[in-house]
Amino acid sequence: MFYKLPRFNYYRVTSLNEALKLVNELEDFKVVAGGTDLVMDLKIKRYIPKNIIDISRVKELDYIVDEGDKIRIGALTRLQEIVDSPIIREKAYVLAEAVNQMASWQIRNMATIGGNLCNASPAADTAPPLYVLNAELKLVSVEGERIVPVTKFFHGPRKTELKKNELLAEIIIPVEKDAGASAIKLGRRNAFTLSIVAVATLVKVSDNKFADVRVALNSVAPTPVRAPSVEKALIGKEVSLEAVEEASKLVVNDIKPISDVRASADYRREMSIVLTRDSLLRSLERIGLKLGGEE
Amino acid sequence: MALVEDPYALLEKWLKAREFIVVGKGIERADAFDKAIGKARFVEDYFDKGVLFVKQVLSEEPHAILEGIDYSEALKIPKVVGVFTAQDIPGENQVGYALPDQPLLAEGKVRFHAEPIALVAAEDIDAAFEAVERVKVKYKPLPVILDPLEAMNRTDVLVHEENGSNIAFRTKVRKGNVEEGFAKSDVIVENEYRTHHQDHLYLETEGALAIPDFEGRITVITAAQYPHLAQSIVARVLGIPMSKVKIVIPYLGGGFGGKDDEGPLVAAKAALVAYKTGKPAFLMYTREESLRIHPKREATIIHYKSGATKDGKLMAIEVKIIHDTGAYTNRGPFILWRASVHASGPYYVPHAKVDGYCVYTNKFPQGSFRGFGNPSVQFAAEAQMDELAKKLGMDPVDFRLKNLLRPGQTTITNQLLDHSVGIAEAVEKLAKKMGWWEKRKAFTEYNKRSKRYKRGIGIGVAWHGISTSRGVPDWSNAYIKIDKDGSVTVYTGIMEMGQGSPNSSHRQIVAEVLGAPLDVIKIVFGTTDAPDTGATHASRGTSIGAIGVLVAAAKIRERLNKLAAELLNARPDDIVIANGKVYVRGNESKSMTWQELIKQAYARGVDVSATGYFFLPKGKFDDAKGQGYAYPAYSYVAVAVEVEVDTYTGRVRVLKAYPALAAGRIINPVQVEGQMEGAIAQGLGYVLMEQFVFDEKGRVLNADMTDYVVPTALDVPVVEKPVYVEDLFKYGPFGAKGVGEMALIPVPAAISNAVSHALGIRVTRLPLTPENVYFMIKKK
Amino acid sequence: MKISFTLNGRRVEVDVEPNEVLLDVLRLKLGVKSVRRGCERAECGACTVLLDGKPVYSCTILAPMVDGRTVETVDYLASNGELKPLVEAFVKVGAIQCGFCTPGFLLTAYSLLRRNPQPTVEEVKKAIEGNICRCTGYQKIIEAILLASKLYAEKRSERKEG
Repeated sequence: MFYKLPRFNYYRVTSLNEALKLVNELEDFKVVAGGTDLVMDLKIKRYIPKNIIDISRVKELDYIVDEGDKIRIGALTRLQEIVDSPIIREKAYVLAEAVNQMASWQIRNMATIGGNLCNASPAADTAPPLYVLNAELKLVSVEGERIVPVTKFFHGPRKTELKKNELLAEIIIPVEKDAGASAIKLGRRNAFTLSIVAVATLVKVSDNKFADVRVALNSVAPTPVRAPSVEKALIGKEVSLEAVEEASKLVVNDIKPISDVRASADYRREMSIVLTRDSLLRSLERIGLKLGGEE
Repeated sequence: MALVEDPYALLEKWLKAREFIVVGKGIERADAFDKAIGKARFVEDYFDKGVLFVKQVLSEEPHAILEGIDYSEALKIPKVVGVFTAQDIPGENQVGYALPDQPLLAEGKVRFHAEPIALVAAEDIDAAFEAVERVKVKYKPLPVILDPLEAMNRTDVLVHEENGSNIAFRTKVRKGNVEEGFAKSDVIVENEYRTHHQDHLYLETEGALAIPDFEGRITVITAAQYPHLAQSIVARVLGIPMSKVKIVIPYLGGGFGGKDDEGPLVAAKAALVAYKTGKPAFLMYTREESLRIHPKREATIIHYKSGATKDGKLMAIEVKIIHDTGAYTNRGPFILWRASVHASGPYYVPHAKVDGYCVYTNKFPQGSFRGFGNPSVQFAAEAQMDELAKKLGMDPVDFRLKNLLRPGQTTITNQLLDHSVGIAEAVEKLAKKMGWWEKRKAFTEYNKRSKRYKRGIGIGVAWHGISTSRGVPDWSNAYIKIDKDGSVTVYTGIMEMGQGSPNSSHRQIVAEVLGAPLDVIKIVFGTTDAPDTGATHASRGTSIGAIGVLVAAAKIRERLNKLAAELLNARPDDIVIANGKVYVRGNESKSMTWQELIKQAYARGVDVSATGYFFLPKGKFDDAKGQGYAYPAYSYVAVAVEVEVDTYTGRVRVLKAYPALAAGRIINPVQVEGQMEGAIAQGLGYVLMEQFVFDEKGRVLNADMTDYVVPTALDVPVVEKPVYVEDLFKYGPFGAKGVGEMALIPVPAAISNAVSHALGIRVTRLPLTPENVYFMIKKK
Repeated sequence: MKISFTLNGRRVEVDVEPNEVLLDVLRLKLGVKSVRRGCERAECGACTVLLDGKPVYSCTILAPMVDGRTVETVDYLASNGELKPLVEAFVKVGAIQCGFCTPGFLLTAYSLLRRNPQPTVEEVKKAIEGNICRCTGYQKIIEAILLASKLYAEKRSERKEG
């Protein structure tokens, strides 16, 4: 009643082909999946599209499939389904862990993983876990499909790799063996809040040396980011609390936080270090390496 | 034998009751079921087709001369019925509660961003939205003043030119001789404290539906906390007699004081449109408007100096309180008065000097909010107590126990407290029950071992005067009638915003006094059809509001006892009426039912209706010195909390809260627990996360629930069952004092003292967001 | 455009604009007043309804998105007895103050107890994180949901025995 949404033409599709045809033909449109972000953006007039394409009933994009060495998630999979999925919990727990800290149950029942990615908020909470899982995205159009790494998907706030006639169809997650991963979010309260910073990390260790390290953050740059400085500093190093703490400090080289109503840039910078540290320690703990540091 | 009708005698008689039928029990509320199944109706539920939809045109400037309002383009929209500005007000535009400084609609200039300028009325919602966009307001911007300290010292920029200063109001308290007090002190502590605004964030925003009636009458269904105040404001704005205005307050989706300020104004705006158009008109604030417009909890700067002797006796306090009252004083002077006379905390202090300043700035006004000036000043006072204790090498609770007010002592206004002062006993019981001393030691030890996580335990003790301050008149009233079938209807101006007084305590009091069964008692609340009962604010719904209910019921009970005595052939004093059964004490075979008794009353000419009016006796108060009788009684409260601080992130977790209450008789313990738990959560939100972010022009940057964050179920601590000391108040119904605001008041003090304990750093500034705590630690 | 969906057990057909949200359709067009407008920004939970049995915010759902689907609100689930244990528990423990948020809480709690009939305190808190209550401090709401879980269990065992 109090927020006047712009007038638009509404198109509902039930198959991916229909959807692709429409995005190919129409100009000036927005795609609605769960709607939890888009309807808000329409309310605050961030977008005033002429057309809305409702893809929420494209059932063929709602799935979680375990293919052994990879998991495929349809872009229209609801966030709560990801939290509840035994497949995700077993093979990509860090994603379930991050998604469970997103929004509220009511929102997770509507919002989709594809929607969270395509909305391209700097605070997208599905991004850090997908970054550290080296996930890939399948983008489709009437012309065909292409696969892009999730780290190449975000171009800026609300800007993505998607061409005008493309849709995100699937998220492909390689299953990591012997890796520890974790996701931590810091907000202004304990629940249901936008991130001040969120971090996900993934580590592999062999011979007590870091064999692989992946660190990703949101809310500290125009897009979610990986933290190569931290990763490079650790790979090949002996696993120790000191190494983790020293390397975590380097995260400031990989981020460009701003001040806004939620937090100052300084605080975000400092918290990026703390959360990176905490998440790395937790990830190590998940592969049986408890280094302390929680004194 | 003459019937007793004197309210003093009736109150005294029932104060002596020692056995109770329903008082003191956790009786279920009368409204709970309807609320659970969604049947309870709130203002917006009455909005329907055919009602004009009203939208406000809000100022885009924080401080500017209004050079013109051109709404000709808006009127061109077919479904737009009218646009109304200050010019169109038939009565008075002036609606200031404490001082005549506030217009209903801006006139001449605007003084804060989002100040309402005009009302647009249309036959449909879309047209109203479009019309607002088309109203062109011409502003001549003026310099903006946001900092109250700057505002106090400048006269070149004035929020109100006619006042000649940005200081709107001053208060003073002078007791004893502070120089002498400090000279006798062995330790002195001096600090500056700052607190911030808080929004009520009731889930239902402000709204009103005004319906023009026959004979020029108007009925307004509105979200207000005092029907008769809304009535008088509507009458004043429309220039019609109060008798032509009827106010109905349905269920409210929360009030917390905010709707006491804004409620009458929303009612007046809707009424203005209805009056001018002759059509029903509906205005509801959006969440964004609510956050931007309605008055907030005061933001303060408090300079506090206190001294004590080495054996732990408080000697003197010197306090300077500055309230940022924003663009209008609203109830600012009353809020400042309350802060000033409570500045000592509930302690005996022989020498006190308090100066209060209510200062204009170009922000939203300060207003009524649970605690009313008190949480901020108790925060400062209790921080001082902890710091004094530290300097003296004493435990904070032990130090407090040496100084807490006891019967026979005087307050800083030199008011003698002759009875109903149970706080020392309450604090002692609480500390023992929770194991304060052991915990304090254990946490101190824990912190020596723990590097990252630090634990703290802190206490806040507070007091809160019941009723209006100083000599400001206050009264209670209610009307009760009993129908032929024995059903009882109570009419009260007290309304229902969640606090439950009409639907729990009032019903229980009537059932107790009349002896009628609970299920025949119906309370009609929140209406000008009832006698003026005063506002549902200041924790007075039961403590003051129910005095009238008790007196009216007691008058009828006297008559019924006399009648039953005649019918049962016994003495009136031996008549028992309980749960609908009427019998003779000691001889239950001589009995009749409630319904029979009422039937007989009708048959034998006994009046079973009564008005219970009670005017609170008050003593003298000297405003110039701030000395004298400040309040008829005080409620007292203590809250202790355990916290854990993550020093790496600055995040504070409140693990547990322990409340204690000395608020006279507890009429309904379940409802009182609900008030305590809710107040603690609201206080926790204020301390840990809630804050407004302004830009350099005073515009609020977080006017939505995405960025004005309040506690969720995952943020609140376990609240233990309260410790009660029932220090009966002689004029309270069964000795009850106020409860609603109480537990919020000491929460800022309790949490910040616990955080200070955990970190070894004195907290002087709120809020304790992770960011603020983190940088506080880093600075150290 | 016309949409039709199952509202509280009955098929309804209603004319909507595509840019309307479900909350407004329910309140303004279909007279369902138990669904409350609190923030309109998917932040408070007062407008919670069950969509195909799951709690969602009706303020963020475009009206055409519910075409052909099932929407349930408190009025219905209370009238058919489904909510009885929850209503009883909320009333009994004093979990209701202003009552504005209560229908939303009942729907969320109802869904939780269907998914997880014996939740822990932490599970209850997590489930209701998206419902804001400004009056109660949540303690009695949590207590009521745990009590309702017992009452539902009693009802189930009665049914089995009966």
